[in-house]
Amino acid sequence: MKILVSTKRVPDTDQRIRVLEDGQGIETGNLPFIINPFDAIAVEEAIRIRESQDDEVEVIAVGIGSDDYEEQLRTALAMGADRAILVETGSHVDSWNAACILAAVVKSQQPDLVLMGKQAVDDDANQAGQFLAAQLDWPQATFASQLELKETGLRVHRETDHGIEVIQVRLPAIVTTDLRLNEPRYASLPGILKARKKEIDRLTLADLGIEISPRIEVLNMQSSSTNRQCLQVQNADELIDKLRNDAEVL
Amino acid sequence: MVNTNTADVIIIGGGVAGLSTAMQLAERGSRVIVIERERLANGSTGRAAGLLGQLRGTEAHTRLLMDGVKIVQELEQRADVEIFVQTGSLRVASTTDRAQEIKDLVAMGKSIDFAIDHIDRDEVAAKLPYMKTDDLIDACYCPTDGHLQPAELASAYLKIGKRAGVEYLQNCPVEKILIDHGRAQGVETAAGTFHAPAIVNAAGPWSYLVAELAETVLPTAAIGHYYLTTRPDEQNPVDRLSPAIRDRHQRIYSRPESGGLIVGLYGEEAIQYDMEQLPVDFDMSSLKARQDDIHVAMLIHATQQRFPWINERTPMTITAGIMTFTPDGKPFCGKMPSVEGLFHCSGFSGHGIVQSPAIGVIMADLILNGQTDYDIEAIEADRYHDVAGFQDRNDITAKCYQMQSDYYGRVEGGSTQ
Amino acid sequence: MQILVIAEQEEGAIRPGSRSALSFAHSVAREAKGQVELLLIGHELEEAADDAARYAPVLIAQSPDLVNPVADRYAAVIAQTVVQRNVDLLVAASTTYAKDIVGRAAGLLGGAMASDVIGHQWTDGQLIMQRPMYAGAVIASVRLTQQPAIITIRPSAYEAAEPTETSHPCEALPIDDLTLPDHIQYEQIEAKTNHRPDVTEARVVVSGGRGIKNSDDYEKLIGGLADVLAGATGSSRVLVDAGITPNELQVGQTGKIVAPELYIAVGISGAVQHLAGMKNSRIIVAINQDPDAPIFDVADFGLVGDAYEVVPQLIEKLSLEGSES
Repeated sequence: MKILVSTKRVPDTDQRIRVLEDGQGIETGNLPFIINPFDAIAVEEAIRIRESQDDEVEVIAVGIGSDDYEEQLRTALAMGADRAILVETGSHVDSWNAACILAAVVKSQQPDLVLMGKQAVDDDANQAGQFLAAQLDWPQATFASQLELKETGLRVHRETDHGIEVIQVRLPAIVTTDLRLNEPRYASLPGILKARKKEIDRLTLADLGIEISPRIEVLNMQSSSTNRQCLQVQNADELIDKLRNDAEVL
Repeated sequence: MVNTNTADVIIIGGGVAGLSTAMQLAERGSRVIVIERERLANGSTGRAAGLLGQLRGTEAHTRLLMDGVKIVQELEQRADVEIFVQTGSLRVASTTDRAQEIKDLVAMGKSIDFAIDHIDRDEVAAKLPYMKTDDLIDACYCPTDGHLQPAELASAYLKIGKRAGVEYLQNCPVEKILIDHGRAQGVETAAGTFHAPAIVNAAGPWSYLVAELAETVLPTAAIGHYYLTTRPDEQNPVDRLSPAIRDRHQRIYSRPESGGLIVGLYGEEAIQYDMEQLPVDFDMSSLKARQDDIHVAMLIHATQQRFPWINERTPMTITAGIMTFTPDGKPFCGKMPSVEGLFHCSGFSGHGIVQSPAIGVIMADLILNGQTDYDIEAIEADRYHDVAGFQDRNDITAKCYQMQSDYYGRVEGGSTQ
Repeated sequence: MQILVIAEQEEGAIRPGSRSALSFAHSVAREAKGQVELLLIGHELEEAADDAARYAPVLIAQSPDLVNPVADRYAAVIAQTVVQRNVDLLVAASTTYAKDIVGRAAGLLGGAMASDVIGHQWTDGQLIMQRPMYAGAVIASVRLTQQPAIITIRPSAYEAAEPTETSHPCEALPIDDLTLPDHIQYEQIEAKTNHRPDVTEARVVVSGGRGIKNSDDYEKLIGGLADVLAGATGSSRVLVDAGITPNELQVGQTGKIVAPELYIAVGISGAVQHLAGMKNSRIIVAINQDPDAPIFDVADFGLVGDAYEVVPQLIEKLSLEGSES
């Protein structure tokens, strides 16, 4: 069985994120970058599937970006992915283009399952997995909180607003991971050292035979204000009123 | 809000060292302002595990820690908060040199009437069913040890300090230290200038930079530290009052936390931090470890040798923080010879929480009376002043990194950690 | 401009989130001179159609094969409808339904999609939208580069549309069951009774601290308030230590890091250890008896009072209003 795991390199959003003065991006100088937490969950799930199967399962991590991306692909390798592929692109790709690129990689690698985070914490789009499934005309199981591999395919528990929905899909399929699916492991010492030695296959868009053009354009960014001034309210009524009408959060 | 710009003492740094000192000073009638770069108790203090092992290499140090417990017990009453969790502590040895360390420790402790004794393997296993004990050669138990809960301790210092009139400024980095004719005058910050004849450098990992503002050299270095906290595990329940453990051979310490176990590592290799590279409003609570961080892998590996049920897959949180080390592992507490009115109070080398209660008293003694009844020879602020080999930043960091590496690495003969 | 709004329905009525999506659509229609229609997909939709018709013209895609919201079928129906009716703008509320289904539909329609939109302007014939990025730390203004444009909106950012004075027409769309894809087999849904959202993802988190005396009180007060706000519950370390709450609800340094739209800290003092876990919340409310509690330093709204009095009042008032997103 072959599992492709799509991974994204993202800034650690627990850090203070500052917008550049011209609003054209964020300050990345001192910002640590990590593997998208939802993608780490996807890597973990792929490895768990491999560990649970008697038959051979190959786990391939894929990243789309520049050389910086190597760091995150090594994280996936250290956690236990067998191979890694870096599709080299200079600039940022949006969800649609990520899906186009992944579709091309899928066509060449022919995996049985694509696992990826339901969303990336930089753009929080929650689109790429669904776009990929549509492009490939494959079944999709989004926001997976539990995955069972069966003879007939996958049985997936999905987190929805109304409760846990259970569906079954045949393979090949796209599964996007939700938080409660698993807790990613830390890499072991041998895992880290082995990962350092592994080759990362590099592909260009030309290698894949595709061209991309963006579907969404970011025109400007602004910081959400974080300077808090505590307003004291006197009672429940006043609190509800402020939350509803001032903060617009109810 | 500060309504004037003069005080008797300005304390730079709102961690346990600064907060304890502020509280003690204010209770003796001083007007104190604490100026904190970011948020109170959110630096090293906010990341600490707080293990209290009272028996140290010297009687002076041991007394300081034992007094600290008494001070804490009083704080608990006054602030209505539980700070000291008396779990007792165990030191284990699986090699002959470490067993000798234990023998020396027990002898030393008994000689000063400290509660400590050897404990046999079966008893250890009974106290800690979740720990591997079959390789132990010796162990000793100190029933009066435990840990201080850092957040609760800081909040007690804060509460009582506030009552005594301490003023606290947050999100206020100090930009300049004003010195005139060799005397401290005050500090300049983005929020204005504050004047005081006494200034305390309690800036933790940033303390060497604060010292540089006063054109002095303080031999401290910032060194990273990780500990893991496991989630409660049904197969391996951890009682809240299970003893704390030190296994110096594995370089780990451990204690119970929220139904799980904290395990920390003093590794061979220092995790180096250049505080100048960090943003001015650096929030230490946002420090994180990557999934493939080699220091985390080393921590887990060492942990597994003593707690075999813990591995990379065990549900856990990794806490990352920055400690302030010194070349000899002892803090710098007291006056600087080069600047009248400038005091240092930093370099606690991973033991700031537990030293802070008594250190606050010592600092107040030194600042108000010029002397203290405590034996502070080992922690004098000027002990490396003008000493060759302790002036250049590279020399200092190298020595501090070596100290960190030796912390658990070095086998202590006759004296201990 | 032809605008199509996906209408989610539940028990014969249009969900308020979809009515918010409709408000967005109406606003754009006004500026861009467009027509708005609602699309209902499912089975046995008569009641829902009647309700939907109170707001806007309705297209009904009905079939026994559409009884469950499986993404491949629903997305195919939506994409087909968009193409056939020359829809320029497809709108939905950003619910899990829409993320799953409308996301796939967008994938069939060229992928020009903007999700979780919280504001918009019509400028020089172009739709500019605001959406959160970087876990809410940044608000980005974006535009889509082609049509059809697919947009999901955050319901709390747009007021739910009110019914119009007159009723609107309904039109049944022909559904060819044979062409519906069959990739996904729907098994069941374990409906939400006590199923609260994950504390790290919930829009609202209600957290309890030292002020809560036991587990029953925690469920009643914290659980009660969370439920009326469709939120998650959290806890400070103190309650976990006391065995009042399970470890997985702990918010803080050694627990979970959360950044919801609304964080309500009940009886929590605000030790830095806890703050580390929730300081990025958009709006923080603190309810505490102690006016000096440090939590008030980081709160947007503070109420000095007894949680045991205040929280039941909040629950009662919010229940009466039947607020939801």
